[in-house]
Amino acid sequence: MIELIAVTKTYPNGAGALYDISVHIGKEEFVFLVGPSGAGKTTLMKLLYRDELPTKGQVIVDKIDIAKLEPHQVPYLRRNIGVVFQDYKLLPRKTVFENVAFALQVTGCPRSQIRRKTMQALELVSMLKLVKHFPEQLSGGEKQRACIARALVNNPPILLADEPTGSLDPATSWEILQLLDKINKRNTTVLVATHNKSVVDLMRKRVIALEAGRVIRDQALGVYNEPPPGNV
Amino acid sequence: MFRNLEFFIIEAFTSFRRSGLMSMIAVGIVMVSLTIFGLFLILILNLGNIIGEISAKMDVSVYIQDELTPKEASAIQIQLSAIPGVHKVMYVTKEEAWKDFVKKYGNRFSLEDVLDDNPLPNTFNVQVDSTDLVEKVARQASKFDKVTDVRYSGTYLESTKMLVEAVRIGGLVLVLLLTVATLLIVVNTIRLTVLARETEISIMRLVGATNTYIRGPFIIEGILIGALGGVFSILILKVSYDAISARLSSALPFLPVVTNPRQLSLVYFMVAFLGMLLGMLGGYISVSKLLKEK
Repeated sequence: MIELIAVTKTYPNGAGALYDISVHIGKEEFVFLVGPSGAGKTTLMKLLYRDELPTKGQVIVDKIDIAKLEPHQVPYLRRNIGVVFQDYKLLPRKTVFENVAFALQVTGCPRSQIRRKTMQALELVSMLKLVKHFPEQLSGGEKQRACIARALVNNPPILLADEPTGSLDPATSWEILQLLDKINKRNTTVLVATHNKSVVDLMRKRVIALEAGRVIRDQALGVYNEPPPGNV
Repeated sequence: MFRNLEFFIIEAFTSFRRSGLMSMIAVGIVMVSLTIFGLFLILILNLGNIIGEISAKMDVSVYIQDELTPKEASAIQIQLSAIPGVHKVMYVTKEEAWKDFVKKYGNRFSLEDVLDDNPLPNTFNVQVDSTDLVEKVARQASKFDKVTDVRYSGTYLESTKMLVEAVRIGGLVLVLLLTVATLLIVVNTIRLTVLARETEISIMRLVGATNTYIRGPFIIEGILIGALGGVFSILILKVSYDAISARLSSALPFLPVVTNPRQLSLVYFMVAFLGMLLGMLGGYISVSKLLKEK
């Protein structure tokens, strides 16, 4: 589903770079991307939804080499990838319903389907009671649920979440991760960048650890920190 | 296509309503610049009207020999009327001309004391359709029998011609300059409303909106701002012009103030059209600038 082949990405100022990354993520996998700030987690995510282009190497998403996409094709790639952010990026002047429906409207979805699909997505994230609220009237967890609903409403095969729990308390963080797990079980490939140790250790999913732009560990059923030798 | 248009329009109206103050300010700025534009348009229209009136009064005076039978006179009148470009020919006998003259200036001094004979000739007053034809008409008329002299005010004619040209060219340049100025103001105003929504645009891109879809609502919103500004500007122009023109024509009745509703509607239509056109351009240019950055 996702394949990075010898990918290097450098920036003029040097921060957040990636060096010679090769990673394969299969269909319907659930993967944690961990590492300290500046290790390159966000850069890796941005390469996947083509907010950035690799300096060297190939990034292949759903069998498409994203560097070869024409600018006008990029919107269609993005419809196959739902993205969730730490700061939610909800539109402040739209209600929860409108924020989610928006992702369908911009793809030219017929109006008869917009309502049904939007309500389905909001039901999945348990937000049906708050559809008419504006983002500023919501708690952090609720905002993140709305953001996830927006990312899912197009039924994308891939969901990327960049620090989805970065602004949330532990209990809410756990709820959000449970939600992402539920989404993964509905046949969606989920990639979560985080430095939330407790949830990573509890979930026991595949863990890819980045440090200074390099993969230092790729472990099935992994934990946040390097396990003691002999335990792998 | 129509589904898209419906989405664009709903989006545009919602965002216009929800960014209330910003929209109001934008409409206000558009209104002011369009009002200034319309004001100059009306001014130029009136100036043109005044000059048109002046040149319409261009007459050629054709003087005839004193001893002339009425039959000969009407023959000349027919000949004169046949010259191309002649609008109207009026015969004024020397007696009539004298009476007119005495009536006009006789109260200042007694003319009969100075003159014992009527010195004025029989005259045809020839009205010509346009100032360009005055010379030609005069030349032809002077070749006729019994015509003693042909007069028209040459210098006056030349300066009127130049004035007409000056107003025409100056007005055109002024309207062009004002259009450009209005364009810059409107585009920049709408740019502000777009820039305020940079995040919105980045999110639209993120969820897979094509550029057409991102532009659409902003263009419609630009048209909406332009149209509202235009309507308010027309209201201001109409109310104030009606009041001023009514007062002017009662105070200075000889001044040919434009009151023709068709000419005025054209001005108002141009103001509204310019408002919408510039609003649309403003929306398009501003969004495109943001879209190009990545």
